[in-house]
Amino acid sequence: MSEHSRRQFLRAAALSAAGVSCSGWMPRLARAAAGDPARRRHCVLLWMPGGPSQMDTFDLKPGHANGGPFKEIETSVSGLKISEHLPKLAAQAENLAIVRSLSTAEGDHNRGTYLMHTGHKPGGPISFPTMGSTLSKALGTDDAELPNFISIAPQVALNSAAYGPGFLGPRHAPLTVGSGNVIAAPQQPAAGLGVDDLRNPGVGREQEDARLDLWRMLQTSFLAEHGSASPKAQNTVYERAVRMMRSEAAQAFDLAGESDKVKDAYGRGQFGQGCLMARRLIERGVPFIEIALRSNGGVLGWDTHQQNFDRVKSLSAELDAGWATLMTELHERGLLESTTILWLGEFGRTPTINPGAGRDHFPKAWTTVLAGGGIKGGQAYGRTSADGGTVEENQVDVPDVLATLCRALGIDPATCNISELGRPIKIADGKPIEALLA
Amino acid sequence: MRLRPIIQSLVLALAASWPAAAAPPTEAEMAAKIDARLAEVWAREKALAAPPAEDAEFLRRAWLDLCGTIPPLNDPDGISGIRQFLDSNDPDKRVRLIERLLARPSHATHFANVWKNVLLPQDAEVQRLGGEAGFQSWLRGQFADNVPYDMLIASLVLAQGQANQAGPALFFTSLQLKPEELAASTSRVFLGTQIQCAQCHDHPFDHWKKADFWGYAAFFARLERPQQAQQIAFQVSDAATGEVMIPGSSEAVTPRFLGGDTSGDDLGKSRRERLVQWLTWPENPFVARAAVNRVWALLFGRGLVHPVDDLGRHNASAHPELMSELAEYFVRSGYDLNRLVRTLTQTKAYQLSSRSPPGAEDRPELFARMSIKSLTAEQLYDCLLEAMRRRESASPAPQSALVLNRGLDATRQAFLMRFRAPTQGATEYEGGIPQALTLMNGTNIRQATDLNQSDLLGALDAPFFTAAQKVEVLFLSTLSRPPRSEERAKFVAYVEQAGNRQALGDVLWALLNSAEFMLNH
Repeated sequence: MSEHSRRQFLRAAALSAAGVSCSGWMPRLARAAAGDPARRRHCVLLWMPGGPSQMDTFDLKPGHANGGPFKEIETSVSGLKISEHLPKLAAQAENLAIVRSLSTAEGDHNRGTYLMHTGHKPGGPISFPTMGSTLSKALGTDDAELPNFISIAPQVALNSAAYGPGFLGPRHAPLTVGSGNVIAAPQQPAAGLGVDDLRNPGVGREQEDARLDLWRMLQTSFLAEHGSASPKAQNTVYERAVRMMRSEAAQAFDLAGESDKVKDAYGRGQFGQGCLMARRLIERGVPFIEIALRSNGGVLGWDTHQQNFDRVKSLSAELDAGWATLMTELHERGLLESTTILWLGEFGRTPTINPGAGRDHFPKAWTTVLAGGGIKGGQAYGRTSADGGTVEENQVDVPDVLATLCRALGIDPATCNISELGRPIKIADGKPIEALLA
Repeated sequence: MRLRPIIQSLVLALAASWPAAAAPPTEAEMAAKIDARLAEVWAREKALAAPPAEDAEFLRRAWLDLCGTIPPLNDPDGISGIRQFLDSNDPDKRVRLIERLLARPSHATHFANVWKNVLLPQDAEVQRLGGEAGFQSWLRGQFADNVPYDMLIASLVLAQGQANQAGPALFFTSLQLKPEELAASTSRVFLGTQIQCAQCHDHPFDHWKKADFWGYAAFFARLERPQQAQQIAFQVSDAATGEVMIPGSSEAVTPRFLGGDTSGDDLGKSRRERLVQWLTWPENPFVARAAVNRVWALLFGRGLVHPVDDLGRHNASAHPELMSELAEYFVRSGYDLNRLVRTLTQTKAYQLSSRSPPGAEDRPELFARMSIKSLTAEQLYDCLLEAMRRRESASPAPQSALVLNRGLDATRQAFLMRFRAPTQGATEYEGGIPQALTLMNGTNIRQATDLNQSDLLGALDAPFFTAAQKVEVLFLSTLSRPPRSEERAKFVAYVEQAGNRQALGDVLWALLNSAEFMLNH
């Protein structure tokens, strides 16, 4: 055992732990597996950059001075009310678990984004991976045709570490769509959702084939003389990338085949079309998709320091169309029960309205929403005070939310990955909230 | 405040107190000893050594290991360029090459990159603090001057001043001046000991207890910290008071060297100065071994002990005598990093080929074959850049401009973010599909393979070059070797048959995406 490093030992242990927890832990998972052995779990993170206002979306205070002009409407669940500008979601409230008692400590965009994506405060020596990387690693397989983590319209300029794989390494970085390095394929909508670097537009199929032919000669002769793991790994990854570029699976990114009716239902903006793309990716087994609602080019759409109500109204329309339609279509295809959705931003917004008819940053008492597979929908968990200023009941923190998400996905949150510095790091440090789990 | 005199006096005081030691063996003698030790292990383990590396293999490997990039076709210094090196009949050319490489500015930059990644946490916060460029330029100066390693440690641990100026202060501020973080980092990097587990509980594998961790952390207790907890520290200076306590107790912990007795009260010296005395003490049981292990890992892909910073009793090496002898050699030669590099690169072991047929048993810990190392993100970017540049001209691009503007280049930063891999995985290929897509279709590669944008292709697109010559230049510029006969036949036929000028771009594309290009073998 002299050379057998602790790292290898723990890695093997972690892998087997992940295997155990995915293979028969949750009753729901076992049922799904029995029905269709190939069925896997999926996670969708709906990311609201800027910090969405909870008091104007899911936790309204209509009677109070802080309440603002929006009204509440009834939902499909008696007693549960949300904003009048989210009618389609209201009609599906039985799928939603609205957590109104989230309380965190980071009110800065960069820091908050990092905290909510990784479950850890920024600034320490460890580069924590974003939840997409850890969860896609736990849910996905190495030989999948499509990458296991796809990020649509990410905000990397703001805090790239919050979106990156950290110590898990580049293999678990997302494939990005529409991040700005856009190579738009001809049929993409004007919203510009091209997969980054999927094609070289100047090179046609024949030329691509010729290049690959030359390339394969070099690979074959090098691999014949160098049989160790890393040249093989490089070759495998490349062949997978080429396969992906040309596969039927890559058609997932091309929305041309969808009818106008469907595209309209999702909403023609970047977020809506991103949700449509997510449905197509889930149909092809992609385990983790992150979609940002940037509001058509704005970097921090939800950061409504001014004109909060006008902007939230239009953002809500986009959110409502995309999210509700995604859930409907997933449900029609029998995929909603294996897809868990998390709606989240970097913090909430102040209950008091500022002179610019806006709300400012507020992490002390805000809202996140879980939906779909593994989640007990149709409820509001936790309660804020009448003025929205504090949490009165069932306060939760981001590690708890992430732990709950893990359990809903059939992952044991205590599963460990080994950090750069040799320390085992759990996927999520918090305690799962049992009341939210189906 | 000038630190150098203080450091020098500390180190000299130590040297004076240590009994005069015999001069260390010469580099050649030491290299032979290393090979002898390894041969013993191979005989015992019945391992067959790989054949020696050919000149082209050695040249490329040495350039990548020491300067972080691939060799140019020609070099005015007369020996380091591909053509000169391969054509030379000088029996000492390999030794001379290493000397030239160590003298190049790109060597200092490459080692500064490597060490910066080891010393600073890879964190967006660090980038926001600014000062990374200053830290790197300080490191570069240390390597350019071949500052002895004990002085380098001393300068780092005794850092003072602002983090955003050229100097080592960022090491402290990036860890928020926290004693536990500084203890964990310095023990990992300089002592090769992963003591951080013992911060909260007795170490699960090694023998360290909580008291050991906090005794060591106490050396970092007396630093001026910002008043508010949330404030970011921007500068480093000593404070007269400050203690650490084991969490859960309220008793101040006395500073204690790892594995040693309490340091005693040395009036007139700050805690950090006392720590530096211990770190630079020639009989310190950790420092020389950790340094030697790290340099070995840089050159061989893997330390004599693996992981490179986990030299505990629980993690035995297959080469204990070699490790001890190398550590002693390093100390006796004055902690001279360049000398250590010259010695290791002169060994037969460093000059073994990395070739192994598929299915051959892979036992990298024996060093019977050179391990294949992945390129770091910085190396990969620099190699791509080199491969694009006009290569046949007599004067290469001015080194200084290249070296200085590194940190400010947005394209380079974006590339590094995408490709940065954990530093422990030197012999593993860490990339995934997104990285492969970037290398196949991304902006960098499109520019490199476009006739109109690539200097290299543009220069080759001239009537007086035959197709065979063009193909040869492309192979030399990327794989650092001439094409083999079957490759020559196929590639030249392709270029001639295609008839269009774009064919050269296709050849270059294939070369740049090959495993042979993006691995350090």
